[in-house]
Amino acid sequence: MADVETTESDQSDAPDPRRHQPPPKYQGFKMFMRNRAAVFGAVLMIGILVVTYILPIFITDNKNEIIAEKHLAPGDEGAPLLGTDYLGRDVAIVVMNGGSTTLKVAGFAAILIVGIGASIGAAAGYYGGWVDSALMRFTEFFQVLPGLLFAIVIVALFSPTTLTIVLAIGLISWPGIARLTRGEFLRQKNLEYVKAATAIGASDRRIIIKTILPNTMPVIIVQSSLIMGAAILFEAGLAFLGLGDASNLSWGFYLGLNRASFLSNWWAVTFPGLMIFFTVLSLSLIGDGLQDAFNPKLRGR
Amino acid sequence: MRSRRWLKAFVLLFTVSLIAAACGDSDDGDTTAATDAPATTLEEGQTGTTSFVSTTVAESEATTTTEAEPEPEEMSTAHLLRPNNVPTEAQRGGTIVLGYAGVINHANGAVSSGYAVNTAGSQVNASLLRWSDEYQPVPYIASEWAIAADGLSVSLTLNPEARFHDGEDITCTDVDFSIKTSQANHPFKPMFAPVTGVDGGDTKNCTVNLEQPHPALLVAFSPGLLPIIPEHIFNDGQEMKTHPRNNTDVVGSGPFKIVEWETGEIIRYEANDDFFLPDLPYLDELIIDMVPDGATVTLGLETGDFDIGTGHGGQDIVDAQNNPDLSVSSKGFEAIGSIPWLQLNLRDEILSDVRVRQALWHAFDFDEWNEIQNSGQHRRQCTGIQSQSPYYNPDAHCYEFDLEAAQALLDDAGYGDGFELNFHVTPAGVTTAEIMASQWAKIGVEVIIEVVPDFPAWIGRTVGEGTDYQVTYTSLWNWGDPVIGVNRSYNCNNRVAGVAFSNMSWYCNEGLDEILNAAGLEFDPELRRDLYFEATDIINADVPVIYLSNQVWYTRMATHVENPPESIWGFMDSWAEMWIAS
Repeated sequence: MADVETTESDQSDAPDPRRHQPPPKYQGFKMFMRNRAAVFGAVLMIGILVVTYILPIFITDNKNEIIAEKHLAPGDEGAPLLGTDYLGRDVAIVVMNGGSTTLKVAGFAAILIVGIGASIGAAAGYYGGWVDSALMRFTEFFQVLPGLLFAIVIVALFSPTTLTIVLAIGLISWPGIARLTRGEFLRQKNLEYVKAATAIGASDRRIIIKTILPNTMPVIIVQSSLIMGAAILFEAGLAFLGLGDASNLSWGFYLGLNRASFLSNWWAVTFPGLMIFFTVLSLSLIGDGLQDAFNPKLRGR
Repeated sequence: MRSRRWLKAFVLLFTVSLIAAACGDSDDGDTTAATDAPATTLEEGQTGTTSFVSTTVAESEATTTTEAEPEPEEMSTAHLLRPNNVPTEAQRGGTIVLGYAGVINHANGAVSSGYAVNTAGSQVNASLLRWSDEYQPVPYIASEWAIAADGLSVSLTLNPEARFHDGEDITCTDVDFSIKTSQANHPFKPMFAPVTGVDGGDTKNCTVNLEQPHPALLVAFSPGLLPIIPEHIFNDGQEMKTHPRNNTDVVGSGPFKIVEWETGEIIRYEANDDFFLPDLPYLDELIIDMVPDGATVTLGLETGDFDIGTGHGGQDIVDAQNNPDLSVSSKGFEAIGSIPWLQLNLRDEILSDVRVRQALWHAFDFDEWNEIQNSGQHRRQCTGIQSQSPYYNPDAHCYEFDLEAAQALLDDAGYGDGFELNFHVTPAGVTTAEIMASQWAKIGVEVIIEVVPDFPAWIGRTVGEGTDYQVTYTSLWNWGDPVIGVNRSYNCNNRVAGVAFSNMSWYCNEGLDEILNAAGLEFDPELRRDLYFEATDIINADVPVIYLSNQVWYTRMATHVENPPESIWGFMDSWAEMWIAS
């Protein structure tokens, strides 16, 4: 706990606070680096990105190639590093290629969630009144929908393409961020700097986008990293049930395909599962670090 | 602070495992990732939407006559498929439980087709003939039969003892009514299309009149295809397909009577003590236990809850073969003739080039597919006529696995640099699609797998108006005679949008149609066979479909099961001769 309480402002020999002090350079970065778990998360993420996007370039051009007998365990004679799956594909290569599908879906879903959630939350929080009531009822409607079922219905209806999966995840996950943004807007719209902007005649649009939104960004960015983690889990859940792109196997889809032979073929289930676990873990740790970096008041909470 | 972080990580881990567990729970009902599932789950005919083209060719002179064989002195065992394996008095009785993955709605095979209806129906209903495992007709309700010299009528003598469960005699009126019911309701129109009526009224000497010779007729008299249903029960003006007596208070004439029917749960039969064939059935009781999936059947067989169940190859069969409590038979179901194949859409620009289609076949590695998908248990199959059929040509031209030949054909067609190909499958077909993606990648073909969630969606996607599917994986059944189950996939006039298992490739060769029609009228087995050889050669040269294999339907059973249903119709034949060894 020591490193939290001993922040610079707590020093007794601190400079006179009434004098304007420029913030120390890279303060946020330093705070992030001080959070060792977050650094671990970031290193993990870099590793995952290298495995997903860079290694496959050097390894094979036929990611579906059947290279050996099916169900070869790692360490078996003639088996590749991580063994083979139910077809005889190299588990390592399929898992490597699966990352881009998973991350693509999760990334776009996170963008969509933040886009919808922040817009609706901003409008509700800023305008208040009936706009707020209407938008919040609308939000609550999506909040009480059984998320996984609703997503399954959407994907099953419109075929499991990347677009529909992103839309499905986006449509059911935005209410959280909408409420968060609304709360921030409600709080900030009564602060001095917003009143000042109103006083000099700034339009609503300008105040929302240029005045308040930048000040809510820290909260949104921190939340986004967590949302992306949740989106990965969501994608994995859908794909596990077979709702995914069978030509570009995501980790969840691959895990689902291998589950029938789970007992005899644990490695083909374990490795994609571990990739999901480590990716979500790293995003969560990074989110924690960003919290520290952006939001000094919440530091340590 | 740090401990909180670890708490968070732990909560995350917990969430991951929770989701995994939640997903795992859905295993039973969901077929999406059943990678070791049988190669085919599109059990065709189930939907009742199948439609066929009738073979209509102007009268041709019929020449051949087939005489009924049963000799009077052998009458006592002529009706048995296994006269040499009859239980002693002490060995009779007992209960057999069949584990069935799926739901059986009714038992009337005269109004719809399908493995489920026929399996349940053939125990409660009898038919005019049965068929042995040697493709020979065996007397059942009809004790004698003869085809007229001109092929335009078939005379039948019904077993004088033949009667329904309610004691009413079976007469020509019932035969006539059953055929008319099938003509009006059954999806397999060619079975009885040439039949104009049955003479004989309330007697036991019937004449089936035909407008043209119809060699497939005797096969169509099989238990599954034409159960003889009681006219006095059903002829009450109600809609036959939804008639209440199809599954309640069922009156048939078969070896068993239905005493309990909970759709989706159980059908319980007890022996028909008044059965018209002497000493049959050997069992006291027969139970069909309906369960949600094949895994439950496997489990039930292993625990001994079920005595018998089917299976289509793969690890389950290997496991059963290695289980000392179970025996496995690969006999039976030959008339089903299930042939998994890749359906190519000839309306597609790329696939309209025959060289591309031939190249795709050359690039198919049967051994690899068979090993991965079926644990090596399917037979190689090179034509659309099932390899146990008398009309199958074992020397038909087959496209051997040859990547160089495939590449040369693609180069020749101008697709040497490869192309993309969409491949539509239901979840059960994903493994095959993945294997093809791997195999065809070697000739530069990039397969885009598109998974459709279920059978109705698959129908919509592949036979819907203006469909742009390129390749799909399906499996068609021969149903005993090429006229019933083969012609439909190639006839020009069976290119029908919206109809499952029609000519889904949109293939048309009028010369072929003429040969198939001629074969449908030909009584001479040798001439008929030659016509089918010629037809399959034409089809193989044109490659509207790529035949993957001859799917073997296995019977898994407890070692005490004697006389399992091993005729050409397998489970869809009567189980009257089954008994339990002590």
